[in-house]
Amino acid sequence: MTSISKALVLVGSVALAAASATTFAEEIQGGSTTSATAMSSDLRAVTQSRLDAADGEKTNWLQVNGGYSQKRFFPGSQINSSNVANLKPAFIFQTQILESMETAPLVVDGVMYLTTSYNHVHAIDAKTGKEFWHYKHNQGPITVYCCGPNNRGVAALDGKVFMGTLDAKLVALDAKTGGKIWETQIADPELGYSETMAPVAVDGKVLIGTNGGEYGIRGFVKAFDADSGKLLWTFYTIPDKGHEGVWATHDATGRDMHRDIAAEKAMLKKRGGDFYQTLGGGVWMTPAVDQETDTAFFVVGNPSPDLYGDIRPGDNLYTNSMVAVDLNTGAYKWHYQYIAHDVWDLDAVSPVVLTEAKDKSGKVRKVAIHGGKTGHVYVHDRGTGELIRFSDAMVPQDDMWVLPTAEGTRMLPGANGGVEWNPMAVNEDLGLAYAANLHQPMTYHVEASEYPGGKLWLGGAFKVIPGEAQWGRLSAVNINTGKIAWEADTDQPLMGGVLATGGNLVFTGEGNGSFNAYDATTGAKLWSFQAGAGVNAPPTSYMVDGKQYIAVAAGGNTQLNFKRGNSVIVFELP
Amino acid sequence: MKLILALLSMFLLQSTAQADAEAGKQKAEVCAACHGLDGNSIAPNFPNLAGQTARYIYLQLKDFQKGKRSDPMMSPMAANLTKQDMFDLADWYASQKFNGQNSKKTDANLSNGKKLADAALCTMCHLGGFSGQNEVPRVAGQHYEYIIKQLKDFKYKNRTNDFGNMSAVVKTIEDKDLEDIAAYVSTLH
Repeated sequence: MTSISKALVLVGSVALAAASATTFAEEIQGGSTTSATAMSSDLRAVTQSRLDAADGEKTNWLQVNGGYSQKRFFPGSQINSSNVANLKPAFIFQTQILESMETAPLVVDGVMYLTTSYNHVHAIDAKTGKEFWHYKHNQGPITVYCCGPNNRGVAALDGKVFMGTLDAKLVALDAKTGGKIWETQIADPELGYSETMAPVAVDGKVLIGTNGGEYGIRGFVKAFDADSGKLLWTFYTIPDKGHEGVWATHDATGRDMHRDIAAEKAMLKKRGGDFYQTLGGGVWMTPAVDQETDTAFFVVGNPSPDLYGDIRPGDNLYTNSMVAVDLNTGAYKWHYQYIAHDVWDLDAVSPVVLTEAKDKSGKVRKVAIHGGKTGHVYVHDRGTGELIRFSDAMVPQDDMWVLPTAEGTRMLPGANGGVEWNPMAVNEDLGLAYAANLHQPMTYHVEASEYPGGKLWLGGAFKVIPGEAQWGRLSAVNINTGKIAWEADTDQPLMGGVLATGGNLVFTGEGNGSFNAYDATTGAKLWSFQAGAGVNAPPTSYMVDGKQYIAVAAGGNTQLNFKRGNSVIVFELP
Repeated sequence: MKLILALLSMFLLQSTAQADAEAGKQKAEVCAACHGLDGNSIAPNFPNLAGQTARYIYLQLKDFQKGKRSDPMMSPMAANLTKQDMFDLADWYASQKFNGQNSKKTDANLSNGKKLADAALCTMCHLGGFSGQNEVPRVAGQHYEYIIKQLKDFKYKNRTNDFGNMSAVVKTIEDKDLEDIAAYVSTLH
């Protein structure tokens, strides 16, 4: 053969090999973007001043949870409780990935940004569903994730959109073309670090936490320069000294956690405190930001290993806590721990919401609230972290805090909660926080296990109890009193999140495919649509050309094994 | 000339990726007697490797070599493998296709098996359809005999390279129920 045809043969075989599935030892670089249609010049960059005002946005949905306060409240009332029964699909955008969808679509000036499992990003026309561009991330050789290869969405700032990836990178894409601008490695995936959360962009920085509480990581929130991807600061959720805390015997609600403090203190003496390196404390969801005080608020996940606490004596600070840090430096401001030395994986995941509520004397205070896996909504003073109140239990609680055993012990809530990562929504006029809950009776099993090095490390197992019913509950909680205003039960545990609107509406989806609208004041179900796959993602709302739309992803869920789908569905009034 | 150079440089850039699976194919020739040339084994006590996650295969080979997992046939097979050998073999088998023929056990209580698998939340780690991810193996399409052996080995601590994750799950499940679970999973593709 001539040398040219030999080369062609070689290239041909290489092309075939490259087309096969990504394999373990390949050196992966880059990522690829395909363009379907050029975006019009109507797209304005999402500037900081637009983000500053995002909480009151009447047209766009600029952040996954609405604005920096994360109230997930869209003021528009064109779609309202009197006409929502007529809501119908405007279009369906089908993606290539048939796997769990947890994305909250952003909409900026008529352009929708959505993500899929395995880190695809699509920019589409928010009115017609026509695609502008599609980015596919090339995963590195190691990706670890406990609960599904999902992604919860992007952040937008100054002409870029930012996404965290399963191989623990942060990528910045050009919002208009989808071309990659920079990519930075957040942490080492071989140790169990990975990203499924949506970052938040503020003042030239992009803040992101980490997965990995099931892998023995050392959790953090990091801030990266939005222009260059350079690391600006790191706040470790596990301090190197003092993580043993105050040896609290009771939880935030005053329940005895049955700790053997003497045994723990003896273990600490024997082992020393260096296990902070593998103590866990991931930050699963987007931080809230209060720009008046330059504070970022977030909640911290469980200690590692989840169920086996003997080898990690002490309170395991700041796991299972709400934490406030300085936005510019990452310096610690305050924390409030819900459960010290957790051995049930009942960690704090649902993102913090900033709003206002009355304190015990009736005075209105600026607060930070969190819906817990424990089943309570906690209301804190934003400046000090003081716990003003915790709500009545939203779901059944039984035998809290019985300790896990080798044979398994039953306790309610089960390890998924309560409120899982599902973001809440708040209607400030009504003083109500809306939380999507799970009721999944489980047995908790413990097994001794040493650190395995970047592999799954539960220290036991969770099982659901066949024969005991599982279901879900959308709860409306009065944050001024802690009382439950109304409850709407569902056939299956809820995973996904809530949207509230100025049309007196609350939206949430179910794993059986139902996407529902409820009266925000009474909880009456006003509308339901069968999406054909689990609706397990937070809904969003926006306007284009004076018309209001509701968008939600219907891709099912890995953790609860709800029917998989691949689509974002957008709804409108006829 | 420029065209040849361009084409050749394309080849060189890809060559690291190409070498792994191709090298793996050669190295897998000694494995074929039990696991089949393409990872579709012919005897139910030898697991199918076709389409298994590369990371799982790599970790098992490493564990066999280090003695963290032990089998009279696999331990000597893994003894002299280099790290690169393990990567290459893992790549090779991960890229192969399961031929749809595994030893299934259909005369078991499959609905009991499914109910118990759902209760044990298997798919939270093994993913829907038991398709696996990273170090958590694909079990769909595996031989019944091999699956039940692993479950019992985890239960009776004959296999301990799971860091307690599997043994905590199977410890409280009766052997007969484990057989139903293994039978159910063997019917999945």
